[in-house]
Amino acid sequence: MQTDWTPVALSHDIPVASAAPGRIGDTALAIWRSASGRIAAWSDRCPHRGMRLSHGYVRGERLSCIYHGWSYGEDGGCKRIPAHPDLTPPESIRVPVFACREASGVVWVAEGQPAGAPPDLAGFRGLRSLHIAAATGAIAEVFGGDGPVLRVKLGPVAVIALVQAFGDETMLHLMAPESCDLATLDALSDAAEALRRNIEAEATA
Amino acid sequence: MSVGAMKDQWYPVGLISGVTEEGRDSLLLGEPIRIFLDGGTPAVTGEGERPLPVELRYGHVWTCPGTPTRPLFDIPEADQLGRRLVDVGVCRVRCSPLRAVENFLDIAHFPFVHTDILGSEPHTEVTRYEVGIREDVDEVWATKVQFFQPQAAKSAEGGITTDYMYRVCAPTCSVLYKTSPPMPGEWDVIALFVQPLTETLCDVWPWMALYDDDASMTDLIHFQQLIFVQDRSVLENQLPALLPLDPGMEIPTRADLTSVAYRRWLKRNGFTYGAQLVAA
Repeated sequence: MQTDWTPVALSHDIPVASAAPGRIGDTALAIWRSASGRIAAWSDRCPHRGMRLSHGYVRGERLSCIYHGWSYGEDGGCKRIPAHPDLTPPESIRVPVFACREASGVVWVAEGQPAGAPPDLAGFRGLRSLHIAAATGAIAEVFGGDGPVLRVKLGPVAVIALVQAFGDETMLHLMAPESCDLATLDALSDAAEALRRNIEAEATA
Repeated sequence: MSVGAMKDQWYPVGLISGVTEEGRDSLLLGEPIRIFLDGGTPAVTGEGERPLPVELRYGHVWTCPGTPTRPLFDIPEADQLGRRLVDVGVCRVRCSPLRAVENFLDIAHFPFVHTDILGSEPHTEVTRYEVGIREDVDEVWATKVQFFQPQAAKSAEGGITTDYMYRVCAPTCSVLYKTSPPMPGEWDVIALFVQPLTETLCDVWPWMALYDDDASMTDLIHFQQLIFVQDRSVLENQLPALLPLDPGMEIPTRADLTSVAYRRWLKRNGFTYGAQLVAA
């Protein structure tokens, strides 16, 4: 499946009024959700002193850097510099903002102007994200296919694996059928961890 | 990477009280060194057991991997009667040694990183202060720095506006002078001595000379360690890891004048180990 969109996180891992790190290609991302629930993905770097914004805090509709409290609005523009409370920050102080959409419980990000909507994965919901210390090739081998959106079996259950390849590391965002009960979700979660252990053991063998 | 002019500067490599007969291996500017007792006296060797110059001052063992271009900087307050000298110990940080010093020179982060200790909202404003290079000693000095602090020191009760002076006396060493809560006419001295292990890894050795007769040594050390561990959470998460010396990569404001002067001074002196010279 070809798409301009990259799966960077599961929606339920970015609660309201919080920020978390992610990646697209070589770019570190701050993925954050405002008090009203709006999701966003920005370059993970405060332009002031380079501090990761994913360590920052959310108040209302703004993300603030944890280092000096510089706060940024929806468009990535700096709105406030606490060291100079009377100053209106210049327009030029701006965090690069990426296109970001949520669909089927997945946070999708794109560089530039993406064509079309993120993939429709109706009938599935986010299970968990796993960081795997192995190249994506090793994972493709286990699953018998490659690409960013894989429909595969985890034990007896048909799941979707969203794959982010980072050289010798991989991020997997696993999705389970909406119909799964809690016991099945627990079993899938265990199976996913076992899968990670096996792949990492193979990779270092 | 170029060690350049930093090779001929002085660096802390351990507490005098911590040196043993067996010795300890460490790194300085990326090269292996060894610190040990030689006939009861601290000694330092570089690669191939080459002896390095040693100074014993301010509770620490100092060495220089090249040829020192100047004597070890003076902190006259170290010899003043009535001060308690505190060896805080070591904190290893995965960051550029220059970023560690720059953070030490910064007051605007107090309310956000040292919340309710060295600063608190809404008291976030940094008022105008003075910065310059003292050409006679080739040091960066910032004076007339003021900041409101809820608990400025272990001995402070309640919030006060604290006066500060900052001094960069070597590329990886800085000394700050701040209002002493029990002796308002005097300055407490807090120093940050940074040992550059590599360009992105350092051992930080804070040291203090305080007017505080009440707090236990343990409490004084814990207070300073708490502050520095809070700083570490920032220092290990700055991008890029190296300190950018050319403008363009980062945006300073008036509150950052000390850092601007420090970066210029580093560049002018060729102190670029741990720095990034061209905006990426």
